[in-house]
Formats: sequence, C-alpha cells, structure tokens
Amino acid sequence: MTDPINVRLLEPGIRVVLEDGATAEIVSNPLDGVWVFGRYLTSPDEPGRVGSEEMIFAQDIVEITEQS
Amino acid sequence: MTTTHEQGYRTDLVNMKAGQISREIFVNEEIYQQELERLFARVWLFVGHESQIPRPGDYFVSSMGEESVILCRDRVGKVHVFLNSCRHRGMKVCRYDDGNTPVFTCPYHGWSYGTDGKLVGVPYFREAYHQKLDKAQWGLVEVSQLCLYKGTVWASWDPSAPPFLEYLGDFVHYLDLTLDGWDGSDGGTEILGGIQKWRIPCNWKFPAENFCGDSYHNISHRSVDLVGIGPSGSGRRDMQERLMARRLQVSFYERGHQTGVYLFPKDRPTPPSYQHSPVVSEYFAHCEEERRRKRGEWARLIGSPGEIFPNTALHPRQPRTIAVWHPRGTHQTEVWRWYLVDSGAPPEVKDFLRDYYIRYSGPAGMTEQDDMENWNYAHAASRGTIARRYPYSYEQGLGFEVDNYEWQGLRIPGTVMDITEAKSSEHNLRNLYRRWAEFMEAESWDELAIWRIARAAE
Repeated sequence: MTDPINVRLLEPGIRVVLEDGATAEIVSNPLDGVWVFGRYLTSPDEPGRVGSEEMIFAQDIVEITEQS
Repeated sequence: MTTTHEQGYRTDLVNMKAGQISREIFVNEEIYQQELERLFARVWLFVGHESQIPRPGDYFVSSMGEESVILCRDRVGKVHVFLNSCRHRGMKVCRYDDGNTPVFTCPYHGWSYGTDGKLVGVPYFREAYHQKLDKAQWGLVEVSQLCLYKGTVWASWDPSAPPFLEYLGDFVHYLDLTLDGWDGSDGGTEILGGIQKWRIPCNWKFPAENFCGDSYHNISHRSVDLVGIGPSGSGRRDMQERLMARRLQVSFYERGHQTGVYLFPKDRPTPPSYQHSPVVSEYFAHCEEERRRKRGEWARLIGSPGEIFPNTALHPRQPRTIAVWHPRGTHQTEVWRWYLVDSGAPPEVKDFLRDYYIRYSGPAGMTEQDDMENWNYAHAASRGTIARRYPYSYEQGLGFEVDNYEWQGLRIPGTVMDITEAKSSEHNLRNLYRRWAEFMEAESWDELAIWRIARAAE
C-alpha cells in the first residue's frame, strides 16, 4: 500500500493519477483535506470526462505524476 | 413540574393582571424545551452583519436558538443562512468561526456543499451510489426567510412568519436609531473588530428583560459611575443630553418589541459629548448638527437600550452595540455582542470608541460585569425547591402607560410610559413576557399576527 497523499499540498498545476487510472490536473484546492478541483486529462473508463472539471475525492488520488 | 399550554402561560405563569411572573419560566426544563420549538423556531433572529462577509465565499458561523448556522455569501454575491449540519449524518460542515471558502466539507464522510448550499461532492458517487443519489434533494437546510436590513442580517425558520419589516412594524424607527449613521444618513454602519462571545450561568430571559429598558437596576452600576468610565471622563455615559430630555419606555404590544428613548425639548441644542477627545467630540457635534438637519423633529429622539423580540438587544448610543442572548440550555446563556460604528468615521473616532465600548460592555466591560453578577445569582437562587414557589413582581407602573403619547409636537409610536418623574417602570419588561406567553400558547402565526386580525376586523 502506498502512503496516503496529503491533498492539502496539491497546488494548481500538479498532475495526479486516480484510482480508476484516469489522470487529472489540479485546478484549485479548497484546503479542506477532502476534495480538490481537477480537470480530467485522460479517462480510460469514461473518455467523455476528458476536459471536464470535477471535484476529486482525496481517497481517489493514488499518485502524483508531475509537480507544478 | 409538568407544564402545558393548556395550564395557562398567560394566566398562571405570566399573570399580567397582577403583574406577577412565575420563576418556573426561568428554571423549568420542560418550558425551555417548548421555547425552542414554539419561540425560536418561529421568530425572526439576528444572525450577523453584512460587513462580516463582504466578499464571495466569506462566511461567519452564527447561531439561531441552540443551533449552529452558517451565514455566507455565495460565488455570485447572494447572502444565505444554512443549518450547519451535514445532511448525511449531521456533523458540522463548518467548524471555524469565520473565513473564506469555495466549499463546506463534512469531515465525517466527506459530503461537500457549495456556498449556495448545493450538494456538490459525494464520495464514491459513481461506485457506491451508482449515480442514483439525487443531489438536488440533499443540499444544506436553508432558512425559510432571510432579510438584509441596513447591513444587518435576520432569518427565520418559519415560512409562515410575517416578513421581517412587518414583524417589526413601526418599531423599525427605533431599530434605525442603532443602524443609521450618527449624522442621520440611512445605514452605513460596520462591525468594529470581531465580536465577543461568552457564557453566563443563567436563563436567556434574564439578560433579555434587562435590556428591554430596565433602568431600575442603575444602582447596580453605581460603582462604575463612581469610577467614571464615560467618554467625557465622568459617570459611565454622557448624561447631560439625558438630563434635559423626557425619559420614555416604549412597547409594541402586538409584536413584543420594546425600548427606552430620550426625547429632547423642541429647539434645544444637543449638549456636547465625548469630551475626553477633541477630535471625537468635534466629530459627534458635527454629526448631531447633520442629524437634526436631515431628520427634523424625529432627531429630537435618541436611543436607549431595547429589545427586538425575543433575544436581540439594542444599545444604540453609548456604547452602540447589538447583543444576542443565545439559549444554551435552561440554565445557561451564550452572549454574542457586536459593536457598531459608522463605516465612514475617522480612524481616531473608531479607536476611541473601541476603547470605550470594551470598557463598558462585554465580558471584561465594567457595566456588563455588574449585570452578569446579578443574572448569575438571581438565576441560581431561583432554582431551589422553595424559591420557585414564589413569583417575581413586575408591578411597577402597572396601568400608567398611554397610547398616542405626544410631547411638544412629536408623537411617539407605540405604547409609552413616561418615567421622567416616576424614575422607573417595568412596563417594557411586562411586554416581553406578555408576548412570550402568547408565543408559548399560540399554535400558529394565524394567532400571533394580531395586527392582521385587527386589520381584517376593521
């Protein structure tokens, strides 16, 4: 099991991998430790989500791929 | 003691004919529980001031009755008041006193709400709920009615309550004495600094009745007067303007609001005030001239402590504050006190007033400390088995109030007790409890909006 990611440290521009394999770029962070706002870059399971901005749940983020 | 409204809030417990009130209404647990439902869930309550949430995303956590609420400004600038409780399992979604945020997130399971109250984030919405949860049905609970009035924010849970300005009736003119500029301009106040919050071991009605215009307890503040904390260096206020005026207590029977006021003689200038500081004294002298020019005869009236039913206290002049007596159980009250100044006042004036206000009011204020001591021990001494068998006396001035009071060409709205010679009266206090008893017995606003019934009969 990987260490949990502290989502409060995810600044806009950082790219992350989600549990379902999708990737997203952080758009904004309310700093509540639970959610971030991200724009989908890829989404193998749901290609229609690419480009959309959604709230991303902290426990769905499994990896940071690129720092801003 | 078991108490139901069938037993008579308006006869046994609050006996206005005799001017006596049972101690039970202050100490009885069952009555307190009924108050939360019959009073606090139906009236209009003061929630905060717009100057506390100037920007989109700003919030201030307030209270209505016992319950925590969030006053916030959403992304498009609209003001809301929400119950601070997640719709999923009830946890507070905001645990700070104030701040700025795009979302309110429940720390328990992570449900998240926009500043417009809409449910925007549900963990595992796709996986666990299979996208079937109807988010539109699960937003934060919002108050039924909201009113912004000259910067102040008021709310009610009851959709059938009359609109706020109708709830006030002509008492709005007395509220304006607190909210209008010192120079008589409409509104323009702001909150000075933060607000003060503290708890007192007494029922909320002790401070509420005190601020209805109880001047009988002035003896309690004798030591403060001797110290001389006032803004001109003596007493606790500037008294010259009061000594030349008629002292009035004004009640609104149909609505439960009441206040003290001072009525100046016609064509007499207002005496100088705030003489401890030439800058402040000059500022107020100028404002007073302007006020008289803008308001005409009505400017002969200056405010004194009052109460908007049931638990919002007004202190319009020296100091100028609003307090809310939040119920926190039968035997405890949480006081929140806001301090007001004209937003356009010079910094020297605001600084001077800050010092004076906190010298006078709040948990460290010398005058309020006297009051708290009285409420604390009056409550404790009324809880005893023997003590609660004996009612309190509210007989002072009973039967001496008048309607259509007029002095030197100015008619005063409301039912008035002139206490210039009498020195004191419990007229206003009786009005608070008269209305309280009506609320405790009435099943709905159809019975409570007495003025509508009277109008329909005409």
